[in-house]
Amino acid sequence: MSLQLSEKHFTSAQPESAARRIVTFRVGDRTFGIDVGMVREIKGWQATTPLPHAAPHVRGVLNLRGVILAVYDLRTAIGLGSTEATATHVIVVVDVEDKTAGLLVDSVSDIVDVPVSAVRPAPDLERDEHGLIEGLVLLDTEIVALLDLAAVIRDGGDNQDKQLRVA
Amino acid sequence: MDPLAELKQTFFQECEELLGALEQKLQLLDEGSSDPEDVNAAFRAIHSIKGGAGAFGCTELVGFAHVFEAALDHLRSGRVALEDAPFTLFLRCSDAVADLVAAARNDETAPVRPDLLAALEQVGQAKAAAPAAPAEAPPAPAADAPVGIAALGNLLAMVDAKMGTPAPTASAAANDGWDDDEPAAVASVRKPGHDVCIKITPEADLFRRVIEPRVAIGILPADEIVSVSCDLSHVPALETLDVTDCHMRFTVMMRTELSADEIVSKFDFTLANEEFEVEVLADSEAAAEPVAEAAPASAPEVPQNVAADLSAILARLGPATDAAPQPDIQPAAAPVAAPAAAAPAVPAAPAAPRTPARPVSNEAAARQRQAVSVRVDLDRIDRLMNLVGEIVITQSMLVECVRSLPYDVYAKTAEGILTLSRQTRELQDHVMAVRAQPVKAVFQRMPRLVRELAQTLGKEVKLVLEGENTEVDKTIIEELADPLTHMIRNSMDHGVETPEERIAAGKNPEGTIRLIAEHRAGRIVISVTDDGRGIGRDRLLAKARSRGLVGADEKLAPEEIDQLIFAAGLSTADAVSDISGRGVGMDVVRRNVESLGGRISVDSEPGRGCKFTLALPLTLAVLEGMVIRCGDDRYVIPIASVIETQHLANTPIEHLTFGQEVLRWRGEITPLHRLGAVMGSAGTRDENIIIIAETERGGNVGIAVDEIVGQQQVVVKSLESNYGAVAGASAATILGDGLVALILDVDSMLRVAASGTRQPVPELKLAG
Repeated sequence: MSLQLSEKHFTSAQPESAARRIVTFRVGDRTFGIDVGMVREIKGWQATTPLPHAAPHVRGVLNLRGVILAVYDLRTAIGLGSTEATATHVIVVVDVEDKTAGLLVDSVSDIVDVPVSAVRPAPDLERDEHGLIEGLVLLDTEIVALLDLAAVIRDGGDNQDKQLRVA
Repeated sequence: MDPLAELKQTFFQECEELLGALEQKLQLLDEGSSDPEDVNAAFRAIHSIKGGAGAFGCTELVGFAHVFEAALDHLRSGRVALEDAPFTLFLRCSDAVADLVAAARNDETAPVRPDLLAALEQVGQAKAAAPAAPAEAPPAPAADAPVGIAALGNLLAMVDAKMGTPAPTASAAANDGWDDDEPAAVASVRKPGHDVCIKITPEADLFRRVIEPRVAIGILPADEIVSVSCDLSHVPALETLDVTDCHMRFTVMMRTELSADEIVSKFDFTLANEEFEVEVLADSEAAAEPVAEAAPASAPEVPQNVAADLSAILARLGPATDAAPQPDIQPAAAPVAAPAAAAPAVPAAPAAPRTPARPVSNEAAARQRQAVSVRVDLDRIDRLMNLVGEIVITQSMLVECVRSLPYDVYAKTAEGILTLSRQTRELQDHVMAVRAQPVKAVFQRMPRLVRELAQTLGKEVKLVLEGENTEVDKTIIEELADPLTHMIRNSMDHGVETPEERIAAGKNPEGTIRLIAEHRAGRIVISVTDDGRGIGRDRLLAKARSRGLVGADEKLAPEEIDQLIFAAGLSTADAVSDISGRGVGMDVVRRNVESLGGRISVDSEPGRGCKFTLALPLTLAVLEGMVIRCGDDRYVIPIASVIETQHLANTPIEHLTFGQEVLRWRGEITPLHRLGAVMGSAGTRDENIIIIAETERGGNVGIAVDEIVGQQQVVVKSLESNYGAVAGASAATILGDGLVALILDVDSMLRVAASGTRQPVPELKLAG
């Protein structure tokens, strides 16, 4: 369902032109991307207030001009541990479904236009991505994994439970 | 929005208030009130609804309201004694009016209830049959009677009289003080003097100047007026008609000895010079003759024409003057209007006529009302509220900044800030007060619900309302209706038994449901108590077992079983009914209530009844909080929950099994929880302070924290709009340094403590 929603969003963002404009950002040595239409703003790291008993990838909540939103650690979501946040880290503020959320990443790298045809379906779930990837884009030098944001936010911290369920 | 739609909107808003008042007054009367003011108020309410409805062409509503009004009028006039009045019928009629209003609002047509109409008309007929009553004087005019109409009717009567037709109406007209002579004499006896033609073309604002034509013309010696005719050709089309404008023009024919100047001076007080024209007809004999001769001949027609014209105009004026629904405006209606004293008094004080026309009084009343209350779009108040919220945050930010200033600067600035914070507080209080409303707005809807359900279910139930004037923020009011409706439905359907069952159980056949609102612990607590059979625990448990909600060999305490009523998909009603029994009621109620930071609980005593208690915050906007610290984290605990604070070191703590700590407080054993542990605070903790807090159920609890940072008003920010519910916290706020702090919810925190640490994952899932 989340995937459908994302697709809807994409198509409405890019109705005619056969290109998608994508914001790319990095976590460790990996590059991720989301449609530019989903990005509300990009801001430097700011201390968050932790939430009790929240999933591990929920960093906490912060105040964005009077609105309280939750910040999710993308590194934790993809199973690479917790980010040691510093002033150089970046929070990508995104609109997901009807909520506003922050995505903690290492840095924002670029905005690129890619033809829709260049987006390939995600290969069978890689072990560390847990269905968070909606598609892959091959750029000259790197592979950009397009995130299914709703899934990131919903399931990100659920790794252990998932593995438990599988086991 | 176009002006008409806006007006319509206002009308429907007013209708809601009026319907509320109507129902309330009828209820009072039904309960035995004999205050005539209650009758009048009920009458006024339906009357105003009718008036407005006419303006917007809601014919069904007008028709029904008219009959209803007529029935109520019998009470008002005393023709039907209060004791004999069918208030149950009236209450059902008020429901029907509410339906019609709702239908009109949605541009639908609701079926008029012929049964109710017939019953209402019966009320009138009973009176007609009463032999003694009709001989008595007609009902005295009430202050709010449609004076304008009556006045116009009066004018007609006068026209009638002057035209020398002592029709059945003449004697009536004579009563009104307008006519001191035998009318017939006017036409037949040729008086000395000359004929004068006065053309009156009032400006449109005549009524707004509180002048009515009757008064203006009435200044002329009544016995010298030969004829008065009214030219209605300037009345605009209905679409553009402003009922407060005067579109009537009059031509008065007189035979008088007064000079033109004398006549002019008579209008000094009422009409501007350009509004009338006095012409002394040159050949008085010749000119007068046709008039005089024509008079008797045309007499039968003219008044009727005028009457017809007038009733046409009145029909058009309907909205304000209230004539529309009246099938036939007859001059005979006149005597109702003016006290006999009015006419002589008028020349003496023409500027302040005693019987202002209806449109004028309407407007004056409207103006008066505006002076005491203003309708404001809720959005505007919300924006104001948000702004005040931001100011509160900025102000507490300033306070933090000031702390770091050097002392001499600090002292001065601090003073200013202190004043500022006092003013901010006051500003906030006032804005909050603007939003506050008595719960009456919601409670008022409940009697109808109970009546209708009682009828459907064949039960007898009395609804008792208490604490209707308890005030609560607008945001909460809006959220109350649904849970209350569900709770009452539940009590009606499952709680209260049928009269036979009740008699068999040795109870009063009439059940009682009490709906009580009160302020407690900074919350509004609303309870719905019935004296029915209570929760059927065996059936509830069996059902829960069959649905797999409770394990087959799981043992539950009676209270725990009662709480199952809030479980999803459980209903013990044998037959699924319209009222309840789909099993989607109470669990939805609980979810909605909890999402508002409220709680709902149930207490049941088998055979004795059941009590639902709903506790909600007074406002969803701000709260007075104590900022506390635990490890690295800060929290806000609502002051309303705090009873007192004390040092941990001075408090003897005892350990029970399973690591539960308790302390003695005011002779009570009070459980102690360490906040840092419950909420999983980061950093090292060093608990120094115990906060004794009150729980909703009335118990107390000790909460150990590291430090009390301060006390301040905080703006409540939702965690759910962008995240989801957080166990232990009702919401969040932004502190002076811009960081977010969770606002603790003591009861929810206790549940976290009771359930161990890790909360189930669903709490943080996004919807979908």
